[in-house]
Amino acid sequence: MPRGGATAGARAWFGRAALALLAGFGAGSAAFAATLSISVQLSNGHPIGGAVVTVHPYGVPAHPAPPVTAIMDQVDRAFEPDLLVIPVDSTVAFPNRDSVSHQIYSFSPPKRFQLPLYRGKPYPPVHFEQPGVVTLGCNIHDEMLAYVLVTDAPYFGRTDATGAWSADVPRGVYHVSIWHPRIREEAKDLEREVTVGESDRGNLTLRLKPLKPAPLEGRPHSWDSY
Amino acid sequence: MGQLLRQPMRSSSIPPSRGILLRRRLAVVVALAVLVGTTDSRAADWELDVDARVLTANGAKPFIDGGLGTTRFGSDQSGLRLGRARFAISQNLGEVWTLHLDASSWGDRDKTPVGLTEGYLQFRPYPVSGYRLRVKAGAFYPPVSLENRSPGWESPYTLSYSAINSWLGEEIRTIGLETQLDWLGTRTGHGFDLGVTGGVFGWNDPAGVAVASGGFTLTDRQTLLGGRVGQPGVAPLFAAVPFREIDGRAGAYAGLEARYLDRVVLRFLRYDNNADPAARDPVTHVIAWNTRFNSAGLRVEGHNGWTAIVQWLDGNTYIEPHRAALNWPFKASFALLSKRVGHHLLSVRYDRFQVDSETGAGGSDGAQRGHAWTAAYVYQSGPRWRYTLEWLRVVSDSYNREDLGAASLAAESQLQLAIRFALGPLAQ
Repeated sequence: MPRGGATAGARAWFGRAALALLAGFGAGSAAFAATLSISVQLSNGHPIGGAVVTVHPYGVPAHPAPPVTAIMDQVDRAFEPDLLVIPVDSTVAFPNRDSVSHQIYSFSPPKRFQLPLYRGKPYPPVHFEQPGVVTLGCNIHDEMLAYVLVTDAPYFGRTDATGAWSADVPRGVYHVSIWHPRIREEAKDLEREVTVGESDRGNLTLRLKPLKPAPLEGRPHSWDSY
Repeated sequence: MGQLLRQPMRSSSIPPSRGILLRRRLAVVVALAVLVGTTDSRAADWELDVDARVLTANGAKPFIDGGLGTTRFGSDQSGLRLGRARFAISQNLGEVWTLHLDASSWGDRDKTPVGLTEGYLQFRPYPVSGYRLRVKAGAFYPPVSLENRSPGWESPYTLSYSAINSWLGEEIRTIGLETQLDWLGTRTGHGFDLGVTGGVFGWNDPAGVAVASGGFTLTDRQTLLGGRVGQPGVAPLFAAVPFREIDGRAGAYAGLEARYLDRVVLRFLRYDNNADPAARDPVTHVIAWNTRFNSAGLRVEGHNGWTAIVQWLDGNTYIEPHRAALNWPFKASFALLSKRVGHHLLSVRYDRFQVDSETGAGGSDGAQRGHAWTAAYVYQSGPRWRYTLEWLRVVSDSYNREDLGAASLAAESQLQLAIRFALGPLAQ
C-alpha cells in the first residue's frame, strides 16, 4: 500500500485555491459552504485507501496548486514513501539514507531522468514540470519501485482508510479522476463529472474491480541477488 | 569401460607449482585490496561473511575428496567445520559499469584455499522506453537456479542446494559473455515483465565429467574458478578441472524468463557447451565432454510468506575417447516449499535425480538413481547473524559403488547447525 504523500501543503492551500476560483465562478456567496465528497470502494464495498483523487473545475480556467518541495527517501533498498502526489513545478529530493548506492531513473514521458545516488553525497532535487504519472526505479536494485503523480489540479489528495476524501469547493461542475498503482481499470474509466449544486454537496462513489496484488512485504532484499 | 572413463580424468591432475599458487593467491588479495582502497564517494559496496558449522554425518567420502558420498561432509568430518568464508565486492566504474568479485574459501582440499566463484564486469545502462539491457563479461552463473537467489549464489532456504543446483555449482560457470534484454511491463502499467537471455562461453569443456562419474550430490560447495573436483590420484572421481578450454569451440545458451509482479518467476534455458567429444588437451590430456541440457523452473511467492519452487533439468554428457561413443543422459528435479514468519524461515525440499549409462555392453559406469529430503529452519536475527539447522537424507543407488566393492544402495544423512556472521554495506 503506498504511503504518505505531499498532500499536507496542498491541503493547506485549498483555501487560497478556492479564493482564486471564486473570481472565476463569480458566485462568492456559496463558495465555502459546499463540499465535494469522494468514496472509492471495491465492488463488494470494501474501502480503498490511498487512492489519488484529482479534481478540476469544469469549463472554467483553474490554476494548479502552488509547487512544493517533497522528499522521497531510499531506506532499506526501498523508496520511502513509494507514492508522492505533487503539484506541477514541484521538486522532489532523493536523499538516500541507505548504506549502498542507488541509481534512480524514470522513462515515463512526463519526466525522464537518471540520477545516481552514491552514498554520502547530496544531489540536487528533481523538478517535475509536466502533469502525469512518473514511475521510478533503481538501475542497481531492480525490485525498487515508486510513483510520483504530478498534477495540475487545484484540488487533490488521497483517500483515507475508509476510502473517503473530501474538499470544500465552490458550487460548480467538477471533473474527478481516480488513480492507484494497483487499479486494473483504464484511466479513462475512472473519470467522472460531479455537480456541486444548491444542496452544497457533491457526492461520488466509485466501485472498482479487485486491485492487483500488493508488493510482497518483509521479503529480505538480499533474495533478489540473482 | 571404467578405464575409458577414468583415464582422462586421472591425467587431468597435473598440480600447479607452489610458486604459481602463491602468485595466484597474491593476485586475488592485491586486486581486492586495491578495490577496497579506492574509497571515495563511489566507494565499493562490499560484504564479508563467515559461516561456521557444527555437524554430524554418516555418509561416504565426499566428492571433493574423490569419493562417491552424496552429501558435502562424510562421516569422518563430523564436528566443527568451515561452511564458507566469503568476501564480495561491487565497484561502480563510472555510472553504468560495475565490477563484481566474489571470493570464497570452503575450508577443504581444493588447489587453492581461496579463490573466486564469480568475477565479472557488468554493463547496465539505464532502462529506456520500458526496455532494460544487461551485459555481463567474465565468470558467472547462467540463469537457471530459482533457489540460489542470495548473495554468493546461496540459497536462503537451505544450507545444501538441490541436486540440480549442486551440480551447477560444481561444474557449470559461464566464462564468457551474456546479454539479457527485459521488457519492463511492471514499469509501464502492466502486471508482468518478460526477458530473453543469450550467452556464449568457453573454458567449460570438461563439464559433465563429475555427473557422469560421481553422479548427483547435494552440497553447498561451489567449485572455484581454476579449482577442481576430486583429488589427484584418488579413485573413483579423479581430479577434474571443470573450467578449461580444450577444443577452441564456444558454447552457448539461450533462455526466456517471465515474471508476474514480484510474485511469480518462470524460467527456461537451453544450454550446450558445444564441446568436441573427441577433443583432448594435448598437454594435460583432459578430454572435452559435450554437455547439453534443458532446464525449466517456476517460483511462486504469496503475500503470507509462502514460497514454492519447482525446477527440472534434463540433459546428457557425451564423449568419444578412442572412437568409442559414451553417453550419460541425466535428469533431476525438485520441489521446495517454504514458509516465512518474521525472522523465521522453515523449508522442506524433495529431490529426485538419475544418471543413465550408455557406455556399451558390459557395464553401467556412472549409472545412478536417487532421491533426497531436506528440511531446514533459518533464524535471521538481523543483517549480521543467521542461524540455520538443516537435516538432509539422500538415498541413492550407484553402479560405481558396486564397481568399487561397496553396496550399490546407500542412505546418507547429514545434520548441520550453521552460524553465519556478515559485515559490510552489502550485508546491511
